[in-house]
Amino acid sequence: MNDTRHVTIVMVEDDEGHARLIERNIRRAGIMNDIKHFADGGTALAYLQDDQGGPAHNGPALVLLDLNLPDMSGTDILSAIKSDEKLRRTPVVVLTTTDDKTEIQRCYDLGCNVYITKPVNYESFADAIRQLGLFLSVIQVPEVEAP
Amino acid sequence: MAIQQNTLNRLVIGCVVTGFLALVLIGAAGVAVMARNLDFSKWVNHTYQVQNAIADYRTDNERLETARRGVLLSSDPAFIGIYRQMSEKLPRHVDELQRLTADNPVQQARVARLRILLRQQLTADDRSLADPSAARAALATRGVDDGLTAVRAIRALTDEMKADEARNLDERDAARAASLRSLYVVAIAAGVLLAVVAISSTWVILRYTRDLTVSRAALQALNAGLESEVAARTAELRRANDEIQRFAYIVSHDLRSPLVNVMGFTSELEAAAKPLGQLLQRAEAEAPDIVTPEARAAVTTDLPESLGFIRASTQKMDRLINAILRLSREGRRVLAPEPVDLKALFDNVAAGLKHRADELGARIEVAPDLPRLVSDRLALDQVFSNLVENALKYLKPGRPGFIQIRAHRRGDRVVVEVIDNGRGIDPKDHERIFDLFRRSGAQDQPGEGIGLAHVRALGYRLGATINVESALDQGATFRVSLPAVLSRETAAT
Repeated sequence: MNDTRHVTIVMVEDDEGHARLIERNIRRAGIMNDIKHFADGGTALAYLQDDQGGPAHNGPALVLLDLNLPDMSGTDILSAIKSDEKLRRTPVVVLTTTDDKTEIQRCYDLGCNVYITKPVNYESFADAIRQLGLFLSVIQVPEVEAP
Repeated sequence: MAIQQNTLNRLVIGCVVTGFLALVLIGAAGVAVMARNLDFSKWVNHTYQVQNAIADYRTDNERLETARRGVLLSSDPAFIGIYRQMSEKLPRHVDELQRLTADNPVQQARVARLRILLRQQLTADDRSLADPSAARAALATRGVDDGLTAVRAIRALTDEMKADEARNLDERDAARAASLRSLYVVAIAAGVLLAVVAISSTWVILRYTRDLTVSRAALQALNAGLESEVAARTAELRRANDEIQRFAYIVSHDLRSPLVNVMGFTSELEAAAKPLGQLLQRAEAEAPDIVTPEARAAVTTDLPESLGFIRASTQKMDRLINAILRLSREGRRVLAPEPVDLKALFDNVAAGLKHRADELGARIEVAPDLPRLVSDRLALDQVFSNLVENALKYLKPGRPGFIQIRAHRRGDRVVVEVIDNGRGIDPKDHERIFDLFRRSGAQDQPGEGIGLAHVRALGYRLGATINVESALDQGATFRVSLPAVLSRETAAT
């Protein structure tokens, strides 16, 4: 059994403001895990798959994924994670503005674990993130097998 | 060269007229030739009569001479009888000849000479019979007497007359043949003319028919071209429409992202303003001299006011973006035409708004007999819910609201009217109210100016036209003309 404290939260979010607000609200929920923030899909995937300190080589992780990224679509990252032998058990929470039904279905089809639409209303937004924080504090994340 | 309709008409009429003229000509020529032939026949008959009369005369003349000789030779009384009979008959023959040749002066002259010769003959014969022996002696010595001389002269004369008549006959036959020939010529000419007319009119008609076929083929090709043109344009429009929908969708999404930040950090600022306020209170209590009026104003009034405006504006922007998003989502929804009972639909709309209407003291009346139509139920519900909701929203204060919904069929369309007795719409705003984010009249009701834009956008998708009839304080009538049957092609655009 692993301690959720060791789980790294990998946040892929191109909007600095959103990233900051998400981080603040996660912290307010009492989650003190490491949060690694990436503003584009390329560096995020590089970290996830190849970085020595990254989840593929070192310990469990949880991915917070925005779908609208400048260099690639969030669903591409999602399918890359879910088809990677070492990463496929890593939980992915899609957190994005899109509430298009087909998009949501597509994400679940690709193996996304939770899909959350960012509420525009800030109180609801903060609420949603805090609840996500509570959720993160109790979920169990599988260990990545060492190579 | 294509034959024009006028030219064709003239040509065909020309041909027909020419044909008729040719037929009339043949008829007239035939009648004329027949009349001439009748005339010729009459004259030929006449000539035969004359010839017969001459022959009769000659026969009787020979019999007379024979009887005379018989008397001279044998004194047989039978000869006397024949002689008397013939001498009476011959002048009658001459009379007959004179009557028959009344038309011919030459023959008349001959007949006159014949009459004289006959008289001389009869006188000489009578004389010789009165004295037969002297006559016999004269004959024996001279071989001839006055009677015989006269007979010979008569023979020569009648020969002449016969020859003349024969010549007449030949001439008349020739003339008849000539007139027949001319008839043949006329008939052949007319026949040729008719053939030419027939051939040329057939040619003209064939040519015209061919032109007609060619132009019909061209027309069909043009029609087909038109159809493909329309199809191409429709596809283009559909693509443009799709693009606008996609654009609206993307824009509203991408606008949402920064809005989340603006709203989020505004809230953070508000949260930060609280400790600041507390700090100010503490400072005023503990060290009032460090609190400047500017600092107090900034914390107590400027900051909350500014944050309030930012919040109100971002909330409005959020509503607008949501409206655009909803419109674009509606535009993307696939319409599903199905048979719709308008009465049930409107009753449902009225029931949905009954609570609001009761609060406002307004009444909604749905007409009893409503036509059925085939359309998208959800879209219809949205259109008419919006219209009735608007009617309830803009009632004239102090006048109990009364809203009527009725519909009737007109051709292949169904016209639905939503009539209210509310505050009405200024005619200059009749177009404007259908524009997105535009409103009319006193802005005393909540709303973003989306409802009617939504109604019109949905209406277009349903193949409907929507117009309004209204004046200030006079209530308003919204008239929606829907196709009775929404085709799947229209639904797909």
